[in-house]
Order: sequence, then structure tokens, then C-alpha cells
Amino acid sequence: MNSSRLCWPTPNGLPAVAPAVVVSVCLLLLVISASAVELDLVRLITAIPRMFEFASHLLVLPDWEYLPTLGTNMLQTMEMTFLATSIALVISLPLGVLAAVNASPHPVVFHVTRNLLTLMRALPELVWALVFVSAVGLGPLPGVMALSFVTVGFMGKFFAESIEVIDARQVEGVAAHGAGWLQLRTFAFFPQVFPDFVGTVMYILDHNLRAAAILGLVGAGGIGYDLVMAMRMFDYGRLLPIALSIYVAVTLLDRMSDKFRRRLI
Amino acid sequence: MSQIIIKDVAKRYANGFNALKGVSAEIPAGSFTVILGPSGAGKSTLLRTINGLETPTSGSVQIGQQTVTHTNLREVRSQVGMVFQHFNLVDRLSVMANVLTGRLSHRSWLGSLFYLFQRGDMDIAHEALIRVGLTDKAWNRADRLSGGQQQRVGIARALAQQPRVILADEPVASLDPVTSEEIMGLLREICTRDGITVVVNLHQVELAKRFADRVIGLNDGFVVYDGPASGLDRATLSRIYNRNGDQIDEQLETMLAYA
Amino acid sequence: MSAIETVRPPLPKKPFNPTPVWLTAWLALLWLIVVDLELSFETLLYGVDDIFEYFSRYGSPNFADLSRYVELLIQTLATALWGSALAFVVAVVLAPFAARNLTPNATVYRIARETLNFMRAMPDLLLALIFVAALGLGPLPGALALGIHTAGFLGKFFSESLERVDAGIYEAVSATGASRLQVVMYAGWPSILREALGYTLYIFDRNVRMASVLGLVGAGGIGLALHDTLRMFNYDQSAALIIVILITILVIDYLSTWIRGKLN
Ligand SMILES: Nc1ncnc2c1ncn2[C@@H]1O[C@H](COP(=O)(O)OP(=O)(O)OP(=O)(O)O)[C@@H](O)[C@H]1O
Ligand SMILES: [Mg+2]
Repeated sequence: MNSSRLCWPTPNGLPAVAPAVVVSVCLLLLVISASAVELDLVRLITAIPRMFEFASHLLVLPDWEYLPTLGTNMLQTMEMTFLATSIALVISLPLGVLAAVNASPHPVVFHVTRNLLTLMRALPELVWALVFVSAVGLGPLPGVMALSFVTVGFMGKFFAESIEVIDARQVEGVAAHGAGWLQLRTFAFFPQVFPDFVGTVMYILDHNLRAAAILGLVGAGGIGYDLVMAMRMFDYGRLLPIALSIYVAVTLLDRMSDKFRRRLI
Repeated sequence: MSQIIIKDVAKRYANGFNALKGVSAEIPAGSFTVILGPSGAGKSTLLRTINGLETPTSGSVQIGQQTVTHTNLREVRSQVGMVFQHFNLVDRLSVMANVLTGRLSHRSWLGSLFYLFQRGDMDIAHEALIRVGLTDKAWNRADRLSGGQQQRVGIARALAQQPRVILADEPVASLDPVTSEEIMGLLREICTRDGITVVVNLHQVELAKRFADRVIGLNDGFVVYDGPASGLDRATLSRIYNRNGDQIDEQLETMLAYA
Repeated sequence: MSAIETVRPPLPKKPFNPTPVWLTAWLALLWLIVVDLELSFETLLYGVDDIFEYFSRYGSPNFADLSRYVELLIQTLATALWGSALAFVVAVVLAPFAARNLTPNATVYRIARETLNFMRAMPDLLLALIFVAALGLGPLPGALALGIHTAGFLGKFFSESLERVDAGIYEAVSATGASRLQVVMYAGWPSILREALGYTLYIFDRNVRMASVLGLVGAGGIGLALHDTLRMFNYDQSAALIIVILITILVIDYLSTWIRGKLN
């Protein structure tokens, strides 16, 4: 046998079954779905010069008169983020307790809350924003409603998951001294999960800022509306400042929450 | 001819700690050397500078004809096998794949991207597994093995490199006495039969006496003994295990009495 | 008894507890925000009846166009799949450079990290807007946008997992004379395989959700249809579309949770 023949480190030298199956299924799915995404290499390649052209358009002086408005709209975006996250936090705390298998008062309650949370986070913010905009009109209100609604779905789930992995012995310790149902949750569960909760809230704040920045797309307040308008009107003097301010805000929040989390843990 | 030449090696860690303070030694080809010394003496540091896992602050290490530098690191390492206290196997890979990692320096980057080896590598790895007596476990996952078996895989990985030197940093510190005996016997046999130079860090004086040709005693970054294993009398041992030049305490006395 | 009580030593002074201050500041800030955004939750409360009336309009979903919805849905799933695949490939390439223990040097590390951060910070709908401008309408710009945005996430997750792998395992493989690439391939990826697959499934899940709204900016999928029916106050069809989207997302969600459970 030729000793330089290539083979895989398996008994028969052929690829291992499980990885081979997974890889081929994935590749097969990608090939099948290629036509559905209208994958077209020619189109991709011809788009490259257009990307550069687009980028060159971006390099214009910013529209100075617009900058104050940009400031107000960014502020509005951040306010929506903060408000929606706060509202969701207040609602998610009790829901999280009800949806944690070790803290829920009854299995039925547990399953109902779990599925409710799944439903709430199933649809993206933008879909709810669309619905709420047609319900209560344009403005930040439908945006805040949509954001809070979906955030409860995520936050409640994350809270429940952190409650489920706590140390049962500490809970027993408090329970052994005759603590009541609510006391047990505030004195034994809460101190243990607090750092996790803060981490979750920071993570969600981060996510919500990005989400709030695009809610304006459907008229639900924030910077998103200006962004789409600038894009549609080819108003490059506004486009770059808007994109930059979103990037800066998200990055700052990201860094801040990283620092904050590290200090807490 | 000396296989390993250590010349005035000093090592100062980033935090300012001087772990080695000028160590020189020559280790002849095909010999079995044990390095003894108390915790923190610099045994691991010395072993790690030999295959370039640590860079000496001053001094040099020469293996065969080559001085270890940044540019020939891969080449030097391909000739030096390393065995670790905690085995350091890749848990999720099979025993065979772990042993085959010993062949990586002979494989191209493209083949490695697809986890491909050559038939010849497989044969070498198979051979190595026969040597350590683990052929029946070849296709098991590495983390499903006992500690002693994992250490055998570690030795097989080193053997698959077809090295000129094997360095072992406390290879038996996590194993029971009987298994320790087997692993040391295996290393000794590899040294004698294949003529591979073996350097082992140990904490067991008794094992050193039985297996080593030569013992190097380290204390506080200095070589305090360099000679045959038979020269390990009580005075020498107390010099090796001495702390800060204090009187030898009771515990040490008893410990050495049992050595 | 009483003797003991009289000589009871006093407790040390209680440390200042800042929680009430934080709480007050938080509430004050929220109030300021509500004022500034001119939100009137009262109208919301008074309008509860209206809102119930509004939602009742969605009561009779109309599935007449179901075949078109299914077609759009397949496009949505395909967009998410290609986006996730792109993200996976980009992340696998970038992550080792962004892992402190595998990167060749500090400059490369910084560049890789900042690239991942940038991709993460750009909202995918913004990227989709840009790619639609360059490539024209259709799902392809959507897949690209999803891919680039989530590559930032996956790359960050992967590099953090790679950093958590025991240093001894990297050392053992590099001590055999393996190159950096070989260390990544043989010590890095096999050690974090499960974790990495879990993250990828999670990202796919998320991308299905996002792909269903990419249509709003002309990047294909079912989102545009929903946008149009809502704009035309076509509640029956909107309801049908929302149900179709909801079921798909729930199925994918359960499926990926199930697979992730199998992985562990
Ligand atoms: N990466 C490092 N940074 C700073 N100091 C280190 C580092 N590694 C080791 N040291 C210090 O160098 C000294 C020698 O360490 P080394 O690991 O070589 O000792 P050793 O003889 O192998 O001890 P043991 O028998 O406990 O394994 C110790 O005091 C240790 O604290
Ligand atoms: Mg050591």
C-alpha cells in the first residue's frame, strides 16, 4: 500500500459518518436554496464597483444644518431604548419567577408562562411595530410598545433560565428557617441571580438600542425614519452622520456594559 | 556527544520573578535524566525552555547541532516530544487522532485544513499505540480513558513524532503508585530500546533512584546537584530540598528517611 | 438576662445603602423620558376598548393566498440559511485571529476584534438598505446583510470559546512542532465544536426571525407582503400572514432547541 496516500484518522480512512452527514446535509440545503435567494455570482461581482461608487458618495461633507435634528432623534432613540427596557424589566421579573421550574407555584402556571414568553418573542419588534403603528398611529409610542412587548419575551426567558441554575442548598437553608413563599423568592433566589440578571439587562439594552435605531423604518419613532429617508433620497450628507452615530452609540454601550459586567462578576 | 546543551540559562518572568538563575548542564544522547527539586525550584521552567515553550532571558539551549531560536522553533519541536502532568489531550478527538497530532509537523497546511493524514502517518501512530499497549482503544474518545491510559496516549503522541528527545514534566504526579511504576517503566524502555534521550521532572526521589542514569538537583533556580542517581545520599537530598538555607526541619528528615 | 441586655455592645454603624437613591433616580429619569417623548399612557388606558376593537379586526384570517405565502416563506428561510452560512464561514476565519491565545500578534488581534465589533454594531436592516442600493431588490442583499451582521456575533462567541480552552492543550499540540493553523484545527475547533454548533443554531434561529422583516427594505421574503397588507388595512390577510410567520418561527425555535439539547 502506498504510504503517502491521504486518508482520514478513522478505522477505514474514510470521513467519519456523523460529521460527513451533517456537512453534506448543510451543503445540500444551501445548494437547493441557492435559487430561492437568487444567488448570482455575476450580479455579486458587478455589484462590487457599485459598492465602491456608493462608498465614494458617502465621502461628502455632512449636512451641518441637519446635525441638531440628528442629535434630537438619536436622543429619542436612546430614550425609547431605556424606557422600553425598564418597562420590560418590571414585567419580566414576576414572569421570570413564574416561568422557572424551581420557582413556579404550579406546573400549569409554569407551562402557561413559558409558552406565553415564547409567543411574545416569536415575532420581531418590527412586525409588532407595524401592527401598533396602525393601532395607535405614528410616533415613539408604538415603538416603545413593540420593544417592551418583545423584550418581555426574551428577558422573562433569560431570567427564568438563570433562576433554574441556582444552588438549591442555599434555598433549602432559608426554607429550613420557615421562610414564606415570597420571602423565599426575595431572600434566597434573588441574591443569587442578581449578577446574572444585571448581565441579561445589559445585553438586552444593547440589543434594544440596535432595534430602536431601525424602528423608525415603519414610523415608530427614533432615528430609523431619517435613515430610510436619507437612503431613499440619496441624501448622502445625512446618511454617513446617521450611520456613524448609530455605530458610535452601539459601540459605546457595548464597551460600557462589558466594563460594568466585569466589575460586577 | 551531548544531545542537549544548556548554557547559563536564566529566566525572568514578566512579573519580575527569577525562576532560573543561570543553569548549565549537558545531557548526553540516549541517557535517562531526572530533574529533582522542591516546588517552585524551576523544574518546569527549565523543561519548557528546552523546547521553546519559554524563551530564556539570557543563555541558550542547544539540541543536537541546533540552538533553539524563534526561527527554528517548529523544526526543534518536531524532534522533541513532550509529555505533560495533566496529559493535555484534545478531549473530543479519538485516541488515534491525538496520537496523529504528533505527525503534524510533517503535514501540509492544506491537508490539516481537512484533517487529512497519510497512510504512513497512520502506520507510525499504530506502531506507537502498540508500544504503549493501547491498540484496542484506538477509536475511543480521549476523555473516556483512565488517567494512566491517557498518559500512555500522551507518550504515544510523543513517540509518533519519532523524536530524538522526550521531555516529561511530572508525568506520574496525577497517577496512583502502580500506574506510576508502569509509566516510568515505559519511559525507561523507550530510552533504552530506541536510544531516545529522556528528561523527566519528578517529585518521587525513590523513582528517580530506580530509573535514572543521572540526576540534576534544582533549588531556587540553581543547579545544586548534577551526578549519577547513586549519588543521592541524605546530605545531597537535603541540599536539593533545602528551603532558604534553613535548618532541615523534622518533616523533611522523615520524608528523606523514607526516600 | 437583663444584665446582658444592658451591656449589649452597639452594632457598628450601618453602611449607607444606595439602593433607594438609585431607584428614585431611575424613576425620575423614566418620568423625564415619558415627558420628553410626549407619550400619553392615559390615552392608551382610555383607549383600551378601541385597542380591543382594533385587534378583533384580525379575527378572521384569510388564507386564500396561502401558496404565495409559502413561496415567500421558503425565500425567507433560504435567506436566513445563506446568511447564517456566510456568518459561519466569516466567523470561523476571523475568530482565531480575535482569540488572545491564538492570534499571531497584538495588531492582528486588535484589527480582528474591531472588525467583529463593527459588523456587530451595524444593524442588519441598515446593512440591508445599503446592499439593496448596490445589488437591487431581492433576497440576496438580505442574506448578505444578515451574514455580515451575525458574523460579528458568531466571531465574538467563537473567539471567546477558543480563549476558554485549556492552555495546556494548545501547548501540547504546538509542542509537537505544529503550525499555528494546525493548532487551531486540532486543538481549537475540536475542543469547542459543540459550543460552536450551538451558537450557530442560535444565530440561524435569530436570522429566520430577522429575515421575516427584511422585506420592509426590499430585501426579499415574507416581510414585504405583511407590510403591504397592513398598509392597505387588509386585516384578514395580515392576520393570515402573521399566523404563518409565527408558526414558522415557533417550529424553527423548537427544532433548534431540540437539536441544541441533543448536542449537550
Ligand atoms: N508564567 C509565570 N509567570 C510568573 N511566574 C511564574 C510563571 N511560571 C512559573 N512561575 C514561577 O517560577 C517559579 C518556578 O516555577 P516552576 O513551575 O518552574 O517550578 P517547579 O519546580 O516546576 O515547581 P512544581 O514542582 O511545583 O511544579 C515558581 O516560583 C513560579 O511561581
Ligand atoms: Mg512544575
